[in-house]
Amino acid sequence: MTETSTIGPQSVMREVLEAYPGAQRALFRRYHIGGCSSCGFQSEETLAHLCQRNNDLDVEEVLEHIRDSHDQDSTVLISPLELAQLLKHESPPKLLDVRSREEWETVRIEGATLMSNPTLQEILSQWPRDAVFVIYDHAGRHALDAAAYFLGHGFTKVRCLDGGIDAWSLQVDPKIRRYRLG
Amino acid sequence: MEKLSDELAAGLRQAAREPRNMGELADADAVGTVGNASCGEMMRMWVKFKEENGRKVIDRATFQSFGCETAIAVASLATELIRGKTPTEALALKSQDLSGEIGPLPPMKIHCAELVEGALHAALDPGSSSASTEQPSLHSEGNLLDNFMSPPKPAGGLRIVLLDSPSEEKPAGTS
Repeated sequence: MTETSTIGPQSVMREVLEAYPGAQRALFRRYHIGGCSSCGFQSEETLAHLCQRNNDLDVEEVLEHIRDSHDQDSTVLISPLELAQLLKHESPPKLLDVRSREEWETVRIEGATLMSNPTLQEILSQWPRDAVFVIYDHAGRHALDAAAYFLGHGFTKVRCLDGGIDAWSLQVDPKIRRYRLG
Repeated sequence: MEKLSDELAAGLRQAAREPRNMGELADADAVGTVGNASCGEMMRMWVKFKEENGRKVIDRATFQSFGCETAIAVASLATELIRGKTPTEALALKSQDLSGEIGPLPPMKIHCAELVEGALHAALDPGSSSASTEQPSLHSEGNLLDNFMSPPKPAGGLRIVLLDSPSEEKPAGTS
C-alpha cells in the first residue's frame, strides 16, 4: 500500500489511487479528469504528466484537492435512516440503482430506476442540475463514483446511499434480502 | 486554473439540456457510428439529403449519444451547423468548428467534439480513415463512467448468493 506521505508530482496514478481511494472522484468533480474513457488516465502516468496535458494544471493545487478527497466523499453520503425519512416527503428524491441487472432483478428498493445508457443520456440532457437524487449500489463503492460523475457534470444535489442496499436492508427494510456476490 | 469558463460551461449545459435533433431519423440516407459502445461512450449520426439548386445538400441530421454532456451539446450544435451544406462542405468542418455558437472547446473537452466529427465522417464518408467505427480509447484506464456503468464481472459470470437462506444459491439471470 502506498503511503500518503510519499505521494508527489512524480507519483504514478496507480500509487495516487492506492493512497487516496477517492482521488479519482475528486479529480472529476473539480477538473473533469477521469470521467469517461477519453478523459481518463493510465495507471502508470505520473500526476505531473496528467496535470500538464490537462491545461497545465497546478500540480500542488491538484495534490491538495486530492488530499481532501475523503472529506469530499463524506459530504455526499446519506444514511439509510435519513433517506427513509426523505422518501416519506411529498417530493421524495429520485432513486437510481447502479448495480447489475441481475442484482436488480433479485432485490431492489421500491421506486428506484435501474441505471442504463438511455437513462444516463436522459439525466445528462434533460434533468435540471438541481434535481435531488440518491444513487445506491450493493455496498456503497460504485455509487460514490456515480455521484462524483454527476457532480462533475454540474448536478448539485446528488447523494449516495451510505452502505448501499445492504445497509438499507439492515437498517430500514429487512424484507429486502441481503446477498453477496460469489 | 483549468476549469471550464462559466460562460462556456453554461453554454454547454444549455445545449445539453435542450438538445436539438436528438433521436433516430427514420428515413435517413446515411448513418455513421463511432465510439466505444462497451463503455457507454458512443455517437451515432443520421443524415437526410435533399436537392437544392442542383446541389445535394444536408436537409436534416440527428444524433444519439451515450457520451458526456459536452458530446451531447456539441452534437446538438453540429447537426444545426451542417444543415444546408453539401457533404464536402460538412466534411471540411473540423472538430473545433463543430461546437458552433458556444465557441472553441478547451483541450480537455476536444475529444467530445472529435467524437461528433468522427460520427459525421462515418455517415458522409464511411471509407475514410477518420470514420473508423470503433475508436480506441486513448486513456482507457481509470474512469468513473466504466466503474459504475460497466463494473468488471468475475470470471465465470456473476453469482448472487442470498445470505438469509444459505441453501438458496441463485445463479445470476435465472430470476
